[in-house]
Amino acid sequence: MKRDGVSHWPLHLFLLVMVVVTIYPVLFVITIAFSGGQALSIVDLPPDPGIADRLRAITPWPETVSTENFRSLFADQPFSRWLLNSVIISAATTFMGVMLSSTAAYAFSRFRFPGRRAGLMMFLVSQMFPGTLMMIPLYIIIVKWLGLGSTYMSLVLMYSVTAIPFCVWMMKGYFDTIPKELEESALIDGASQATIFFRIVLPLARPAVAVTALFSFMTAWNEFIQAATFMDREDMYTAPVGLRFFVSGFSEQWGYFAAGAIIAAIPVVLLFLFLQKYLVSGLTAGAVKG
Amino acid sequence: MDSDQPAPASHRRRFLIGLAVAALFAAAFGAFLLGVAREGARRDAEERRSVVQLLALTDLVDRAGGQPAAAEEPSYGLGEELPPVDVPAEGTVPDTGGGLGDELAALDAGADSAETPDPGAATRQAVAAFAAAHPEVKAIRVVLFDGLLLEASTALEDLDEKAGEKAAPRRLERDEKPLYDLGQQLRAAVEGNREGQEGEAREEEIAAERLSGGLLRLSAPMERGGAPVGMVQMDTLVETPETRGAGFPWLAALLAVLAPVGLFFLISLALGERRALLATLAAVLLLVSLSAFALWSTRTLAADRRAAAEATAAAVKAEGERSIAQLAELGLPSDPPPAPETWDADRYRQPRGLVQAGQAGATVDQDRLDHESHQDAGRVHRAVITLSLIALVLLLYVGLGWAARTGAALVEHRYAYTYTVPALAAMLLLVFLPFFYGVALSFTNANVYNTDKSIFETWVGLDNFVEIVRDIGVAEQTPDGISWNYQSFYWTLGFTIVWTAANVVIGVSVGLLLALALNTKDLAFRPIYRVLLILPWAVPTYITALVWKGMFHKQFGVMNQILQIFGFDPVSWYDHPFTSFLAVLTTNGWLSFSFMMVVSLGALQSIPADLYEAARVDGATRWQQFLSITLPSIRPALIPAIILSVIWTFNQFIVIFLVSAGEPGGSTEILITKAYRIAFEQYRYGYAAAYSVIIFLILLAYGTWQNRVTRATEAIGE
Repeated sequence: MKRDGVSHWPLHLFLLVMVVVTIYPVLFVITIAFSGGQALSIVDLPPDPGIADRLRAITPWPETVSTENFRSLFADQPFSRWLLNSVIISAATTFMGVMLSSTAAYAFSRFRFPGRRAGLMMFLVSQMFPGTLMMIPLYIIIVKWLGLGSTYMSLVLMYSVTAIPFCVWMMKGYFDTIPKELEESALIDGASQATIFFRIVLPLARPAVAVTALFSFMTAWNEFIQAATFMDREDMYTAPVGLRFFVSGFSEQWGYFAAGAIIAAIPVVLLFLFLQKYLVSGLTAGAVKG
Repeated sequence: MDSDQPAPASHRRRFLIGLAVAALFAAAFGAFLLGVAREGARRDAEERRSVVQLLALTDLVDRAGGQPAAAEEPSYGLGEELPPVDVPAEGTVPDTGGGLGDELAALDAGADSAETPDPGAATRQAVAAFAAAHPEVKAIRVVLFDGLLLEASTALEDLDEKAGEKAAPRRLERDEKPLYDLGQQLRAAVEGNREGQEGEAREEEIAAERLSGGLLRLSAPMERGGAPVGMVQMDTLVETPETRGAGFPWLAALLAVLAPVGLFFLISLALGERRALLATLAAVLLLVSLSAFALWSTRTLAADRRAAAEATAAAVKAEGERSIAQLAELGLPSDPPPAPETWDADRYRQPRGLVQAGQAGATVDQDRLDHESHQDAGRVHRAVITLSLIALVLLLYVGLGWAARTGAALVEHRYAYTYTVPALAAMLLLVFLPFFYGVALSFTNANVYNTDKSIFETWVGLDNFVEIVRDIGVAEQTPDGISWNYQSFYWTLGFTIVWTAANVVIGVSVGLLLALALNTKDLAFRPIYRVLLILPWAVPTYITALVWKGMFHKQFGVMNQILQIFGFDPVSWYDHPFTSFLAVLTTNGWLSFSFMMVVSLGALQSIPADLYEAARVDGATRWQQFLSITLPSIRPALIPAIILSVIWTFNQFIVIFLVSAGEPGGSTEILITKAYRIAFEQYRYGYAAAYSVIIFLILLAYGTWQNRVTRATEAIGE
């Protein structure tokens, strides 16, 4: 294990410590979720605990392994409803996001028209606006003026426009790499603009569409602040708002929270691990240009 | 002056169309505004006349209620059954079908038994007399807070078949709670205004509501001995089909369009195709016709205002005379004499001062009327200037052929526009409009109660910003040492900066160290380490935050168990600013190092290995290699990542909001969570918007500075 006169063992030690720090909270959540109870502590400590008791109390393994929390989460709590809300909102956001950004990106990539540069700049500039500055006017416009508080529509609209700029820039980059000749020959064969876009370009851009869709989905699925602000009615909570509901104020239902957190996190964690290289390049590219 | 290119359409025709479009727009919009203004003025005048009546009635009721008989008034406890009230109306009304006259007869009957200790009889008498004298007043209700009493009522629904049970006086019923609540609201307004400081925002003391069928419902507090004890409510018929409609000035508007267009047509025949002349002519004609329209509007409004003022004066005079007569008739005290000129009051029951009491009854104060008309004129001028500017732009847009060019471009690039319009429209509506609206809000005192008002009505200029910037009482010297004011803007700003700096330092150093470790050649298990170490970035932030909040729990949290293993006392994390800061810092450190690690690792892997070999050949140490090869090579990737993470941390809402929630006492609040709380817990939208604008400016300044520094260092490096 030696090379260039440097031992790898210190590196492994360092990395192992960091890995423990990293995965401990994750293991902790899993432990609580499978403990079958609502308590935040892993074990009940005796009145005068010794070192061994305390070590047991931080070991992420439940006293009894049980899936009761998961069963009860769906049977006794409105979590399935919240999850359904999240699924509906995220799916609608994904659809809106992909439709709006793929069409716009296609036009920006293929056509030269007055206002093209201004339009592209608009998407970049919008990334600089701070969230809270938008939140108050959005709240007044959507809840007070349009009366869309506690509706799917309010969140879908906001999430879509949050995702659009990133998606437009990413898809535009991909469309730029598709040779124009394909469309030109289709045009000669008598295809209409709509046919060309939906039957030729979009299928060719499937990887970019997939990434855009997944990005939109994650944006909507993970969002907490706007959902907490705009969804007042308990039956309209999304999963994040509902999970917080379990452990906020005087409510201390950590078992439900942990079980729900695992269910809500697994899809996005997997998606993320799959998507991360696109996200990194997109984010840093956007930062440099903006 | 002919155009340099042969235009298919003649300048004359273009300017004619442009003038027509511009004049049509300006006249239609101007006429609409005038119609709205006149309609508003008409409603205002109606309300004023009704307020005069209402205050006359209130005066009457106040006097009646102050009768000696009222001294023996039994107090009905809220829980008790109402004592059987000796209602004069009982037995006389049921078969009448609810006419007012019958009610009057009933009340007259009641007047005979004035000696009975019924406290409300005098009031009912007064109300009935007032109703008889005012046929347009359809219903009067007098509510007493003490005992939840409906003291008197001439409302038809209170006089119907069941009048035996329903007729006043009686206790208010459950479904009449809004009535009682309205009264309490007015009472609160009166008391609030009385205690309030001079110049403080006042609450309205007269509530007005439009009912269907042209009825106006006005409610005013009723006072005895200077304290509000009840409410007088009056429904008046103010609108009849005969009252004028919207007052839309069709003729004037039509004239304002046709006159300039016709004139232009005639004169342009003589001018020919000379573009500059045609443009000047069209502009002059447009402005002249708009000015004429403005002048006419001002006159109309002034005439309306005069008529309204005179009508009010007449009403004041009539009510004053009627009141004196009624006081004598009812045997109520007329000392101090009624002051009818104060009855012409605004919603705060402050006399408007437009009507003066004089020898010849009430007259209109000419100076005040002129002053108000002058203000009207100012408003008309502002509107017309704005309209003229827009109309001129329209005229030139069409006249100079730009409209035609825009149209051609739209047709030529129709595919491009169809594809981009949905996304652009969504961005404009949900990003740019809210942004500018938010900036505008920061100059207002908008709050949860006045969001229906326009920005101009709540405009306070720079007040919010001044209040924030002058909020300098951060620390105070007390006998026990320095006491910090956690609510101060500067405390929060300082905390945000410390929070951002600490997090970025931790994130960058941990991330870079891990990346360097992972970048070691032939390191075993590297992919496994990488995936595990990337997890914090993948887990949704709100879940991370809530988990760490739990782990820092004072009693059951894992962190305190670990402390106790090492022999420390458990820490109550959220009870002290410093430990609370450690908790949020740990949480954010945990979730932010992965990003830096991934970015650094990518940059490290792209450094060519032969650079290091060359350095080794030259005898450079590892530290020298790091300083002169590694750092410069990863800088282009690292700097944008640092900028991003500064901005993210500065705006890291979720961690603060969910983990410490600003505890203790708002000390660990950062700027954006503070702004959020001001907006959604204190409902001060305007102030919160100003806070957000300041956050935006800080970030903007940071971005500009960072850009400049980056560029400068790059220049040195090259």
